[in-house]
Amino acid sequence: MVPLDELTAVYHRTSGQTHLVAAPVPEILAALEGAPATLDVLLARLAERYDLADPDPEALAARLAELETLGLVQRR
Amino acid sequence: MSDDQTPPGEGARPGLGRRTLLLGAASASAVVSIRPALANTAASVSMCEIPVPDPGRAGSYIASNGDLVPAGTRGAYPAARRPFQAADVKRTLNTGVNLPGTTSDQSRAYTNYIRRLQSGTSGFTCFASLQMPRG
Repeated sequence: MVPLDELTAVYHRTSGQTHLVAAPVPEILAALEGAPATLDVLLARLAERYDLADPDPEALAARLAELETLGLVQRR
Repeated sequence: MSDDQTPPGEGARPGLGRRTLLLGAASASAVVSIRPALANTAASVSMCEIPVPDPGRAGSYIASNGDLVPAGTRGAYPAARRPFQAADVKRTLNTGVNLPGTTSDQSRAYTNYIRRLQSGTSGFTCFASLQMPRG
């Protein structure tokens, strides 16, 4: 992941695709890096690091589903 | 001077100077995806091949999850006798039909290996091309 001002470039080696993403995507990916987590644990990690304006598990689940579709996260 | 740009995870203290993050309850993630510049003509895709495994690792076996393991590892399969044609791999990925000349378990192991191909490994470009939409 490479920060580019308001955006972050994420290179996905498996697909060779580069994704330009905005918050909260890089923050979610960083919170998961090297440490898989359940939805609740991930929400707690994000809440610990940031002031969550909308700490809604459903919103986070929706973001994760999008990232799963892109192949940037994997459900275990 | 207050700092509301405290980097996450670095000295962030609850309620003091943390960056606000919006999960986006009302909107989807902002993502723009840039596909690699790959040959994407129908002829190129149909003619490319995917060796299992990479020729440089031909002495390795393929475990059921697609990992490369030492030759002779129990439950793993030797290298495919010849590379698989792109069309055959695509058919297998889409329909579950076995790769040519393989049993179902062997096909599954090979397919798992193919799915985990990364840039720089022989067959990656061919596999990535299979996933690009046409037109």
